[in-house]
Amino acid sequence: MITIKGLRQGLLIILGEGAWHDTLRELEARLVNSANFFKGGLVALDVGAQSLAADDIERARMLLSSFEVRLGALITQDAGTAAAARSLGLGPTLPAPADPTPARRTAVAAVRATEGVEPAEAGLPATSVSEPLDGGTDGILARRRVRSGQVLRHPGHIVVIGDVNPGAQLIAGGDIIVWGKLQGSAHAGALGDTGAIVGALVMQPSTLRIADTQLIQTGKERRRDAGPRVARVNADGIEITIWQEK
Amino acid sequence: MQATVITITSGKGGVGKTTTAANLGCALALRGQKVVIIDGDIGLRNLDIVMGLENRIVYDAVDYVEGRCKLKQALIRDKRAPELYLLATAQTRDKTAMNPEKMSALCDELRPDFDFIIVDSPAGIEQGFETCLAPADRCLVVTNPEVSSVRDSDRVIGLIESKEKDRTTHLIINRLSAARVKKQDMLSVEDIQEVLSTAIIGVVPEDESILSSTNKGVPVALGGKGAAAVAYSEIARRLMGEDVPLQPLQSGGFLQRLFGRS
Repeated sequence: MITIKGLRQGLLIILGEGAWHDTLRELEARLVNSANFFKGGLVALDVGAQSLAADDIERARMLLSSFEVRLGALITQDAGTAAAARSLGLGPTLPAPADPTPARRTAVAAVRATEGVEPAEAGLPATSVSEPLDGGTDGILARRRVRSGQVLRHPGHIVVIGDVNPGAQLIAGGDIIVWGKLQGSAHAGALGDTGAIVGALVMQPSTLRIADTQLIQTGKERRRDAGPRVARVNADGIEITIWQEK
Repeated sequence: MQATVITITSGKGGVGKTTTAANLGCALALRGQKVVIIDGDIGLRNLDIVMGLENRIVYDAVDYVEGRCKLKQALIRDKRAPELYLLATAQTRDKTAMNPEKMSALCDELRPDFDFIIVDSPAGIEQGFETCLAPADRCLVVTNPEVSSVRDSDRVIGLIESKEKDRTTHLIINRLSAARVKKQDMLSVEDIQEVLSTAIIGVVPEDESILSSTNKGVPVALGGKGAAAVAYSEIARRLMGEDVPLQPLQSGGFLQRLFGRS
């Protein structure tokens, strides 16, 4: 059984007990099923009390990297496994992301907006502790403008208060709500939930996906009347409708 | 004296960073400020050419950092303004010759003797950019009124905001043609402002005199005529803390609407 959680710095994948070979198979299946969710991500693997050699860990790293996922940390309760991880340059915590929220914002926003934001560049100092968010994986709130090149990724929901600029990316296991203008790309239900929705005050995504369904854009969307819209999957693909309570 | 370090950056190449650095340096120096302009584009130096000081270079910033000369020897005095200096970069080295720590240390050494230190950053968002950003107190992001340039500026502003150090970031919109905006061939100031939501410190209009001045090595800000020269001089005054309203472009008038003045 594999569990995925959101960390401040990236994703936490908690692997179950069992033969390492089978565990990796299961991990591979998850990666195959949700390739777009993981692609480009930074993960910490929690292997519990399993005793692993450096070769075992290296196989996991190779598997992840074949899906363009970077292994940044290995969490273990076994001293031998920890030593093996260290020999591969893997500590127990992910490198801290550069703080995208300078001190001039309010304290609450500052704390929340950093959650789930990935470091734009590698090689950042490893100071922060990688702990799962309180209450698990419900979601993150980013109270700021998400700019080109920035990625918000979370296994739960993503709420942005602010605009999502062209070139920015939101990838959520659950729903995506943008209280602002959505012009970047959005992928809701990226872990397979076809019931996920994408809502935005102004819906102008460059690409929009829900689970495995991609929105086919005709080019007419941008001229549609402004106003809140919600995207859902129906039998014909993704449908965008005016936002109203049912 | 304690200089303000201003880093001029953009992400995209060819938008006019070097021209902006040279002209703002000249404009500030002509207003009595003591200015040094540092060329941060190691291996591809051209600030000295734009400034017309190419044949004056004996030592450069890398020579100083690596201990081959004194700081005074590397500072090239531009006699066209009272107190204007250029710190050139090495042409035969690559970007690894400098790093954020070395650049910060260099600027800290210069700070007591100047009012403004202008750092001309290379294109891109890699090491050269990081090196030039490190010492900055404030950043000027140069953008052209076109989609790809604005997109890159957005990326760069995001990177600047992601640093621990809190910096003032302003936008310079370079090469704006009011006529082409009117024909909707070009993004307007409002379009750019909407995406970047960063305060504009100046709009430099498209000006043919820039091209010839660049080739001659005489920045337009030294001549003082033409629309671009006026724009640079106004940006310099704003950098010095003066309250200079943004002027409406000749055939536009949209700036007036934008800033609510009649």
